[in-house]
Amino acid sequence: MKSISAALWSEILKVRRSKIFWITILVFLFIPFMMGLLMFIQKYPEIASKLGMIGTKASMLRFGKADWLTYLGLLTQTVAGIGLIGFGFVTSWVFGREYSDHTAKDMLALPVSRSLIVLSKFIVVAIWCILLTFIFFVFGLIIGGMIHISGWSYVMALHYAYRFTATSMLTILLCTPVGFFASYGRGYLPPVGFVIFTLIVAQFSGLVGLGPYFPWAIPGLYSVAGSAGNSQLAVVSYIILFLISVLGLIGTVAWWRFADQY
Amino acid sequence: MDEIIKTENLTKHYGNVHAVEGVSLNVKKGEIYGFLGLNGAGKTTTIRMLLGMIRPFSGISFIYSKRVDAGSYDLWKNVGYLVEVPYSYPELTVRENLEIIRRLRHISDAKSVDAIIDKLRLLPYQERRAGHLSLGNAQRLGLAKALMHNPDILILDEPANGLDPVGIVEIRELLRNLAFNNGVTIFISSHILGEISKFATRIGIIHEGRLIQEVNTNQLDKLCRKRLLLNAVDKKAVIAILVKNGYSVDFIDDNTLEIKSDRAINHPEEIATMLVHAGLPPTLLKVEEEDLESYFLRTISTDRGAK
Repeated sequence: MKSISAALWSEILKVRRSKIFWITILVFLFIPFMMGLLMFIQKYPEIASKLGMIGTKASMLRFGKADWLTYLGLLTQTVAGIGLIGFGFVTSWVFGREYSDHTAKDMLALPVSRSLIVLSKFIVVAIWCILLTFIFFVFGLIIGGMIHISGWSYVMALHYAYRFTATSMLTILLCTPVGFFASYGRGYLPPVGFVIFTLIVAQFSGLVGLGPYFPWAIPGLYSVAGSAGNSQLAVVSYIILFLISVLGLIGTVAWWRFADQY
Repeated sequence: MDEIIKTENLTKHYGNVHAVEGVSLNVKKGEIYGFLGLNGAGKTTTIRMLLGMIRPFSGISFIYSKRVDAGSYDLWKNVGYLVEVPYSYPELTVRENLEIIRRLRHISDAKSVDAIIDKLRLLPYQERRAGHLSLGNAQRLGLAKALMHNPDILILDEPANGLDPVGIVEIRELLRNLAFNNGVTIFISSHILGEISKFATRIGIIHEGRLIQEVNTNQLDKLCRKRLLLNAVDKKAVIAILVKNGYSVDFIDDNTLEIKSDRAINHPEEIATMLVHAGLPPTLLKVEEEDLESYFLRTISTDRGAK
């Protein structure tokens, strides 16, 4: 208990002091702002056009009505994509920086097991990502309120809060393989490359209808499933995602424990 | 229990490269073991194996008779270490970096951070970010992290790197005091024999991955070669008379004569008398002892020749 709290304390300190922490918060504030802007253009195309904003292109986007139902759906879909990149980036930093800054060696011969160090890193990644998710959703609601989107209902908001949270959690679960690639590749580049690779394959798997079986496509599919029960996902989809997550965790712990550390 | 650090046939290969080959050594309590070798000789690889950071290809190492393994983290309670260039979290201050180590090492006394800052003279820099430290102060911070928990064993890889001459003396005195007065066992690597011989009690020379010699520092004098250097106006006549008297004489680079025999080294006065009586007074007569670096280079080149 003493070890895990010490490891968590030090991981949280490193995150708090990093610039990257504040940059990710800014990014996760910026995206709902952009979503709000799209809704604004949808709602008031003539004002937007007068203001010289995006105009024709935005009105061509045609993502439905400018109401809360569309807006909350859009936010939920966005978090699946942005989460894969953003949470992947967060994980790459938490693990990769120890190699880029050559500080990993200071954590290898301590009276704290390496598994606990890895575990505390993943806990901090999860806390960081949950915080980003929360900021994203709450700021999204505030922006939506500010531009007076129509069709608000608490029941619908609660429903989407649930879907949004579930989408985010599924995305966060996919951080563990990124941690493995950061440790295996000893830096930022391999895990970031891995994240980009998964994004590309996720798009492709969607095209060929294998999305429900490709873990990195599952959060996106979950987010668009809607309330009508028209989900492409099956129980096995969730099992695959959990298995990948567990495998990523075990792989990272095993790498720290058994691989040669330079 | 007298053997605090022990390795048996420690070997590590990277493909065809034999980084460390059958290194067996032991370090007793309170000893300062100087691990000497050129860059790439296998010092850091050995240290990483000693600390469980890399797995030996074959062989075992023990600390307090317990086998070193990546999973045996309890072993490190009483071990302080520094491997290669020490790095710290650049965005954290000196104090915060030390606070992390204090917690990870389960040191309950929060004042131990102040104590080590004071000991390593880091007080003026305690609120400075580690990324803004000079090389010497970054090295001190690395040492502070290794020493904060008052370990019984110190494993240090070239700790004097980047320190100025005053810093080198300070660290040497600090380590000497820890070993001689507190019984701390120190395993320290270096590539400078002159430096390490000033405080190590025993020295192991590693070359191309193999431990080629172990010597007690107090025996180093005996191992360093001595020679008698001699010069005179009429060198030919001097050589003739010396050879006639059974001495073997060589020329060395600056046209000085060199005699390596013990008789000449122990009794240079006999040669002086002989030459003066022959009307050939020496212009130079000096017993010179090989310096430690020459000894080190000779040892490793002999090893190269032997192979």
